[in-house]
Amino acid sequence: MTLPSANTFAPASQPAIHVDALRKTFNVPVREAGLKAAVKSLVRRETREVRAVDDIGFEIGAGEIVGFLGPNGAGKTTTLKMLAGLLYPTSGEALVLGHVPSKREPAFLRRMTMVMGNRNQLQWDLPALDSYELIRAIYRLEPSDFRKTRDEFIELLDLGDLVNKPVRNLSLGERMKVEIVGALLHRPQVLFLDEPTIGLDVTMQKRIRSFVAEYNQRYGATVLLTSHYMADVQALCRRVVVIHHGRILYDGELARLGTRFDATKTIGVTLKEGMVDLSAYGEVLSSEDGRVTLRVSRTDAPEVAGRILRDLPVADLTIEDPPIEDVIERVFASGSGEPVGDDDAEGSAAVAQG
Amino acid sequence: MAGREPLRPFVLAGRFFRVGALNELQYRANFAVQLFQSAIAAGTGLAVLALVFGQTTNLNGWTQPELLAVMGVHILMGGVIATIIQPNMIRLMEDIRQGTLDFVLTKPEDAQVLVSVREIRIWQAVDCLVGAIVIVVAVVQLQVSFGIGQALAFAFAFVLGGLTIYCFWLILTVGAFWVVRMDQIVELFEGVYQSGRWPVTIYPGWLRISLTFLVPIAFAVTVPAEALTSRLTPETLALATGFAIALLVFTRWWWRFGLTRYSGASA
Amino acid sequence: MTSQAGLDRDRFVPRAGRIRGWVDLYVTMFRIAILNNIQYRVANYFYMIGMIAEPVIYLVVWSTIARQQGGQVGGFTPGQFAAYYIVWTLVRQMNIIFTPYGWEERIRQGELSAMLLRPLFPIHWDIALLAGWKLVVIVMWLPIAAVLTLLFSPELNVRPVDIAVFAVAIWGAYLVRTMPYWILGMASFWTTRVGPIFQLMFTAELLLSGRLVPLSLMPDWAQRLADVLPFKWTFGYPIEALIGHLPDAELFGGLAMQLLWIVIGVIGVRIVWRFAIRRYSAVAG
Repeated sequence: MTLPSANTFAPASQPAIHVDALRKTFNVPVREAGLKAAVKSLVRRETREVRAVDDIGFEIGAGEIVGFLGPNGAGKTTTLKMLAGLLYPTSGEALVLGHVPSKREPAFLRRMTMVMGNRNQLQWDLPALDSYELIRAIYRLEPSDFRKTRDEFIELLDLGDLVNKPVRNLSLGERMKVEIVGALLHRPQVLFLDEPTIGLDVTMQKRIRSFVAEYNQRYGATVLLTSHYMADVQALCRRVVVIHHGRILYDGELARLGTRFDATKTIGVTLKEGMVDLSAYGEVLSSEDGRVTLRVSRTDAPEVAGRILRDLPVADLTIEDPPIEDVIERVFASGSGEPVGDDDAEGSAAVAQG
Repeated sequence: MAGREPLRPFVLAGRFFRVGALNELQYRANFAVQLFQSAIAAGTGLAVLALVFGQTTNLNGWTQPELLAVMGVHILMGGVIATIIQPNMIRLMEDIRQGTLDFVLTKPEDAQVLVSVREIRIWQAVDCLVGAIVIVVAVVQLQVSFGIGQALAFAFAFVLGGLTIYCFWLILTVGAFWVVRMDQIVELFEGVYQSGRWPVTIYPGWLRISLTFLVPIAFAVTVPAEALTSRLTPETLALATGFAIALLVFTRWWWRFGLTRYSGASA
Repeated sequence: MTSQAGLDRDRFVPRAGRIRGWVDLYVTMFRIAILNNIQYRVANYFYMIGMIAEPVIYLVVWSTIARQQGGQVGGFTPGQFAAYYIVWTLVRQMNIIFTPYGWEERIRQGELSAMLLRPLFPIHWDIALLAGWKLVVIVMWLPIAAVLTLLFSPELNVRPVDIAVFAVAIWGAYLVRTMPYWILGMASFWTTRVGPIFQLMFTAELLLSGRLVPLSLMPDWAQRLADVLPFKWTFGYPIEALIGHLPDAELFGGLAMQLLWIVIGVIGVRIVWRFAIRRYSAVAG
């Protein structure tokens, strides 16, 4: 599917989301195992300061869809919660549509929405339609306009009769669909999507993705999305922000992420017959069913490929960028933000702060 | 239930008790909370008694120490129900619903005994302690000679009462589980059980009969209390004994009957 | 066809319709509550029936005493005790509020975060949900009251004005009772040990509200204490309003006291909420 066409960079007017030097620290109680420590903890509580979000900053323009990547505990959800107004920042500045989120002004709450995967916000025992009425009343939506939006979304997601069944009778995927409609009925301008497709099957994930993209296109909404599924990010986001240990490692185009962090290529070789040890040509990643996968440096790739073609009876040879997941995993595993490879001026926020 | 080893149920109960106790003693918070709750409940009961005896010297012939004795037995029996009887019945209901009763049925022990003694909520025994204390205070206040005979009569009546209530619970659990949910039964019972705070003789006829034979509160609380307060007549004791035995026999049959209807995990 | 951010004012109900907006919101919430309640009506009936044990027991005890003491005690004859405790069963239902245990559960399940994302102060939801539920309960209560009347022959001398005041007072009672426990519930933000405090408050309420016994049977010092606490106005006052025990001055004075306690409660809620939300947003989110 095509990427959303809303402009992604260099917003001309006020950015939709503005974050500057944002920090969130928690005081976590610390206690070792054992009886003596337990007794000690009764008398004096020791706490340790945990920096969940450590001095991050970025700007997101209206209509952008930005992916927020990071391993568990990286600070993604914490950042999202601060932007949604659920958490108070320890220091720094966050502005969403010109509002300070933690003030929780009604005007702010009416223009944003947060969808958390696996969380039910609709009435469990009633059909979704009844919950939609409640949403209409809470957000003070104009009735005929509301109905138009509701019917439009129902059709977009092909919900049909699902909205007439009690939510508890729906499957997980169907539930997510009616939930996401409920989350967007008030046509918010900013969407915070925290793992929206978690636990869903592939078809359903695609449905949700295309719905989000469609919503973004129709209403120019800004979307900040976190997900463990790279497919979500690749399908929807041109720009990603990579966060680890509470810091931003990368903020820029998804397409460039591989270039920035991984100067390798993957060569896949299928031989006509027999098995040959290719470790002389590069790092062997896997070797099964007659297909060998090699990792070689980006610059060496053409030359190595040529040698293999020359030396061996090759039935098929491919040269690919490493899958994004691997790139990200290696970035996190190494713990550093050291970019490897070509370093063009991106003009965006912190890289290599690791 | 008697079979070849009449004491087997109690041996098993003892084993489960030890395991349960070891488990639950870890949850010290439960004990503290339960102690607090029991203290408050007892305190409230005492306040009501004080209010009643601020207005009169006896209630239907029962004096203040005698009513205190009733309250003590009520709390003590309530503790027994909450510690052993109810937890087992609740678990039994779950097992029936989910078909996991199979695990019990395949064990070498008698199934009815197993389902009746395997769950212990040890911290509820705090209620038993509080009840016992109230009873002791009441007996002291009664200022009559309290001999071995009376103590034995009380113990006997109390055990009978406990068994009667146990049978009632088992009949209800096995019989009604497909009609209502367990938590509804528990709530209903706890409401009706409150009537045992007072001797059932004060209730109008139809209510008294219901509280004797329909929901055997009278046998659970009033009769043992009568033993404590020297009101127990041989006729009443005989009735209690007969009723308990009849109920035990019926419960056994009802249990077996229920098992034949039990469809197991495939349901 | 992207709509510009900011030109969405026409999508929301204009300011002029603010009151209508609130009415519409509450009616919608009532509707949801009723629909939810109907789903669980069997369970609710059981719950209601289980609740009549308590007043019936008190009724019998105090009627017995009244008969023993020559026909009345504390200003109540057996027939009047019957009236008191039968009306009690309805007032008891009207008294049900969102408890601190509910707060603990709500925080644990993360429901509170979901509520904070909406432009609606959570107490409205709690009040409206239970209020809608009570509308169904009032209807379900009528047959229960009829049966109890047949069984216990209550004595009532009711004037139309008593009924009118009662109809208002039971809702006032609900609102009066909601606030203190909502405030206590917010203590869950600071401690997990709200239970014991709740129990203490509840016990005090039991004794000083007219729930255990009509307040005229309590010692004088307790009655004076009950006058300055909110509990009496949630329980004893509505009951006595209906069964014809109150002179006009007290009848309407009671409504004024309810209003006073509601106002105090609202102020308390607002103040504590400010601290509570700061606490919640600092640690949990």
